[in-house]
Amino acid sequence: MEFSKIVKKREFTILVLIIVLGIIFSFTTAKFLSKDNMTNIMYQLSNLIISAIGMTMVIITGGIDVSIGSTLGLSAVVAGMLLTNNTSLFLVILAVLGVGGIVGAINGVIIGYGGIPAIITTLGTMNLVRAFLFQVLRGRWITGLPEGVRFIGIGRFLGLPISIWIAIVLLIAFSYFLRFRPSGRYIYAIGNNIEAARVSGVDPKKIQFIVYLFAGILAGFCGLIYTARTGIVQTNTGMGFEMDVIAAVVLGGTSTTGGKGTILGTLLGAILVGIIKNGMVLLNVPALGEGLVIGLLILVSVVIDIIRSQGD
Amino acid sequence: MRKVWNSIIENRFLFLLVLTVILFLIFSFTVKGFSTLYNLTNMTQYAVELGLLGLAETFVIISGGGGIDLSVGSMMSLSAMLIGVLIGKLGWNLFVGVLVTLFAGIIMGLVNGALVTYVRIPAFLVTIATLFIYRSMALIVAIDPKYGPNPMPISSFKESFYFIGQYKIFDYIPFQVVAIFIPVLIITHLILSKTAFGRRLYGVGINEKAALFSGIDPKMVRLFAYSISGLLSSIAGWIITSRIASARPDVGSEFLLQAITIAVLGGVSISGGEGTVLGVLGSVIVVTILYNGLELAGINPIWQLGALGVILIGSVFLNKILLERRRL
Repeated sequence: MEFSKIVKKREFTILVLIIVLGIIFSFTTAKFLSKDNMTNIMYQLSNLIISAIGMTMVIITGGIDVSIGSTLGLSAVVAGMLLTNNTSLFLVILAVLGVGGIVGAINGVIIGYGGIPAIITTLGTMNLVRAFLFQVLRGRWITGLPEGVRFIGIGRFLGLPISIWIAIVLLIAFSYFLRFRPSGRYIYAIGNNIEAARVSGVDPKKIQFIVYLFAGILAGFCGLIYTARTGIVQTNTGMGFEMDVIAAVVLGGTSTTGGKGTILGTLLGAILVGIIKNGMVLLNVPALGEGLVIGLLILVSVVIDIIRSQGD
Repeated sequence: MRKVWNSIIENRFLFLLVLTVILFLIFSFTVKGFSTLYNLTNMTQYAVELGLLGLAETFVIISGGGGIDLSVGSMMSLSAMLIGVLIGKLGWNLFVGVLVTLFAGIIMGLVNGALVTYVRIPAFLVTIATLFIYRSMALIVAIDPKYGPNPMPISSFKESFYFIGQYKIFDYIPFQVVAIFIPVLIITHLILSKTAFGRRLYGVGINEKAALFSGIDPKMVRLFAYSISGLLSSIAGWIITSRIASARPDVGSEFLLQAITIAVLGGVSISGGEGTVLGVLGSVIVVTILYNGLELAGINPIWQLGALGVILIGSVFLNKILLERRRL
């Protein structure tokens, strides 16, 4: 590929931004480039990346899922309760995938088969799942996980966190799915033009169902990683997580009007969000400003996208 | 019987009235202290804030094109903090302070509207971003270096500021119901049903292209809708600050789900072009009674939100089914 083409790519712009921010943070803070901090960023990135894969597919279809923060929370609670009762890890994995799958399937049925707008549906389930989580937890905290099971959250393999390896495997798998599998291509098709897709034999309802199901399952799995990493689950676990994920996906170039987006872009978007959040903590910017920065980033990146697409 | 049933589900206000009576009876018998005059008049204070935000959402959703305003709660919070800083901290004149804050509310709505209409970003994305931006701004405004790095509520108001939110006519009727809510209901009803703007709003919501051909500027109409949403949210921020005697940066965060639910339950079609103030009033009453009843029954507040989530999805379904029935 010619250099000029690469430069014009969305992914390239984000990469440059990541490098520039990295340089700024490494000069302005003493800790940014330290090995501890880098590992720390990676630990936090794994959940963001895994959930962002699901959100990428959702947004490619022109939808949105704001319920994944609650889904992560509920699944973290289930994982925490089962792990403290010494349930085998295999069963715990099945359980968290089940929790995520149920929430995702509910969203998928209502949005795909019921024809209710995604923002309405997931806003509803977001609150319903949070209420359910609260009922299960009743204001308590879950702590005291057996040390043996925490390797999913804090263990390492070949120097990298195991959770990052999981994220890498999922990134590759879903890249392949989106690019080469027919169902993956259909996701783009219904995002581009739902009527045209229908005429050419794609079942939009089924594809939408699958997309929200995946988003739920991936967020559910993140719940397990969360519990294993932090060793503590509270009623507000996962609150606001959906915002970081949406920011990562939108920054990564996935078009919110549907039909466009790549897993690679999302990975870079997630890294950018992760670095910004980390840098703000290191620079002692109050956490209150985080919403401002993330919100502005989303708007700016969408505006740039729109200006670009008008240029084409 | 069938005829009665049909008219009940077809007429949203009637439907909600029946629902109100049912809820009222259930809570009267099961919850102690619910049907006292004090409780019934007292809960209308809360209804004012709910209603203002529900109406804010109504204008935006009627304007169609995927219109939704997720930032109403944050605009409310930021307005509350502006009131706190201008009137509480800086000691501005009450009238000027409120006017400036309401103007700021209009600007917040304008920003949403401009990004949705002129920059053409989907409404849910714009307002999810501004939900966080305005909320962050409210928190930052609430930081007073004198008291350290954390946001603090502002409660240093003069006595006169509390009048609008705390005074009760004949010791029972909250002042803001008469002075703010009823006038707003009448004005918004007149705007929607009697003015050219109202007709344009429905027109744009039903069919943007057709509206365009008949000489309406859909962008301008929607810009207005988002601005009205900002103004009404801002009024809600002012009233609640006076009622709870404190400007809190997180005051609006619980209102988002309620605002959307009230609009949709009130018969505002999520695809635009449909909805009335009367229907919204009906759903404000239902949601207020539900909230109050659950609270007095000692049920955890988180279930109020859980219940609303179900009602939200349920009422969008209901609207959709009714729409399809009418088309047959």
